[in-house]
Amino acid sequence: MIVNAQLAKSGSQAGGNTLTVYNWGEYIDPDLIKQFEQETGMNVIYETFDSNEGMMGKIEQGGTSYDITVPSEYMVEMMREKDLLIPLDYSKIPNFKNIDPYFTDLPFDPDNKYSIPYFWGTLGIAYNPSLLDGQTFESWDNLWDPSLKQEAVLVDSAREVIGMGLNSLGYSLNSTNPAELREATDKLKTLSPNIKAVIGDEVTQMMMNNEAAVSLIWSGQAADMMSENEDITYVVPEEGSNLWFDNIVIPRTVKNIDGAYEFINFMLRPDVAAQNADYVGYSTPNMKALDLMDPEVTSDERYYPDEQAREHLEVYKDLGLEMLGTYNELFLEFKMDMK
Amino acid sequence: MQKNGKFAKIYLALVFVILYAPIAYLIFYSFNSGGKMSHFDSFTLEHYAAVFEDKRLIGIVLNTVIVALLSALISTAIGVLGAISIHYMRSKAMRNVMLSMNSILMVSPDVIIGASFLILFTLVGIKLGFASVLLSHIAFSIPIVVIMVLPKLQEMSPTLIDAALDLGATRKEIMSRVILPFIQPGIFAGFFLALTYSLDDFAVTFFVTGNGFSTLSVEIYSMARTGVTLTINALSGLIFVITAGLILGYYALKNRPKTPAAGVKR
Repeated sequence: MIVNAQLAKSGSQAGGNTLTVYNWGEYIDPDLIKQFEQETGMNVIYETFDSNEGMMGKIEQGGTSYDITVPSEYMVEMMREKDLLIPLDYSKIPNFKNIDPYFTDLPFDPDNKYSIPYFWGTLGIAYNPSLLDGQTFESWDNLWDPSLKQEAVLVDSAREVIGMGLNSLGYSLNSTNPAELREATDKLKTLSPNIKAVIGDEVTQMMMNNEAAVSLIWSGQAADMMSENEDITYVVPEEGSNLWFDNIVIPRTVKNIDGAYEFINFMLRPDVAAQNADYVGYSTPNMKALDLMDPEVTSDERYYPDEQAREHLEVYKDLGLEMLGTYNELFLEFKMDMK
Repeated sequence: MQKNGKFAKIYLALVFVILYAPIAYLIFYSFNSGGKMSHFDSFTLEHYAAVFEDKRLIGIVLNTVIVALLSALISTAIGVLGAISIHYMRSKAMRNVMLSMNSILMVSPDVIIGASFLILFTLVGIKLGFASVLLSHIAFSIPIVVIMVLPKLQEMSPTLIDAALDLGATRKEIMSRVILPFIQPGIFAGFFLALTYSLDDFAVTFFVTGNGFSTLSVEIYSMARTGVTLTINALSGLIFVITAGLILGYYALKNRPKTPAAGVKR
């Protein structure tokens, strides 16, 4: 029975009364999808992907009818350049006014022509004071403290790690200056005695299980750790760091454009955005939603840094393929140098 | 000797512990009322309830099972015929070409196979969904079946067929009553391998799913960023129990004492 329903659902009725949402796994409260279906009478198909690149590959190739997808900021830029996005018609998205102006008109999508922020966060240091002797991390340089031998894990990602090196020297994390990049890489090499591992998704698990005391990690994953292991805390060092976004866009594969606008407008409603932020546990750019959420969360500097702390945050710019290659080479050089 | 036997038993037990410990760990945490796999709060069945409430997840599980069964059946049929025709090819060169082509498919990275299928299906105009996933699973399972069946064919003595011919068997009978029964273990091995391949595969499947059709592996991989939920643990526990039940049932049937039923005393 269910199979037949599934097959019928995945049948030929894309467009019309069906809306296909392509999102990261576990990145929306399923109750909100039900609510949207009840309110509009539409049928939502929710499909998931595990990486920006995989998602773009599927959309570029066609053969599917995704009405909504959620790329990270650098991927918005790439998709725009490849002409995979539909410019948004703001007369159909009145709730856009609920988005905090601080998060609009950013370099990766001037005037929000193609994308609207869905969740945002920072890159920083998650650490576990119960495993340390009172070290704190107001500055990136604290990571270099000799007492942290073999204690730190880093995310396996070139932009993040080289960016940390650049930030610790006071340079921009979008630097393309070879001298600055060289200096940052050389400085990173001196960090190697403190590094336990450079890994992917396992960082969260290692921190939760008290296998590592310090990690360079995104705020979303840090939130997961903190919800599980109360000892852990998270800080964005004062020299500055990266500000990241996942954004709602309408891709070229759209079949049900009116439904897509209705869905975006629904997700921007304060009550919906608040419920979604509670479920996912990431920071919402929706300022009206903040009033409806637990004040303990919204006043938490770790998730919602104040104006002053935000001043030092930078969004990644698309540096072009050649520069990306340079970053990857320097990152490899740093990893090869580790003992 | 005795000592050796003991050592072998301990070694075997150890291997099984290592194999089953992760599964036990996973199932243990499916009863955890806390939300994560790091510390156990208290016993709960809520994650099992969540599995049965989640219509979408159940749909995805059924999709996965149906694709696995169908693709294993079809690829076994094609693979067995393929193995037989490769085995009885007259020209050695041609046989080697065929075997190499089969091996190339075995060692090609899944990502490349997946991407080529995606390009092929969109060019030909096959809509991504059930059909595209089924076709690609059949395609990558065939080489495995061929590899599993060929050794059995090589084991079979040619005199068997000569004998059958001398006894007046037709070509059809040779196939159905000599060759197929002889290679049956290879056919089953191929079928079950194809089944597991299909259930597990992520890389190829990711590229060819679409239009609302998805499989379990794609769904679980997509959770990597925000963390896999304990609902998945509960689901894995259920799948494990069902699988174990099927296998035990199979052995129980197979080893049934072949005595006449009900109270005949000897």
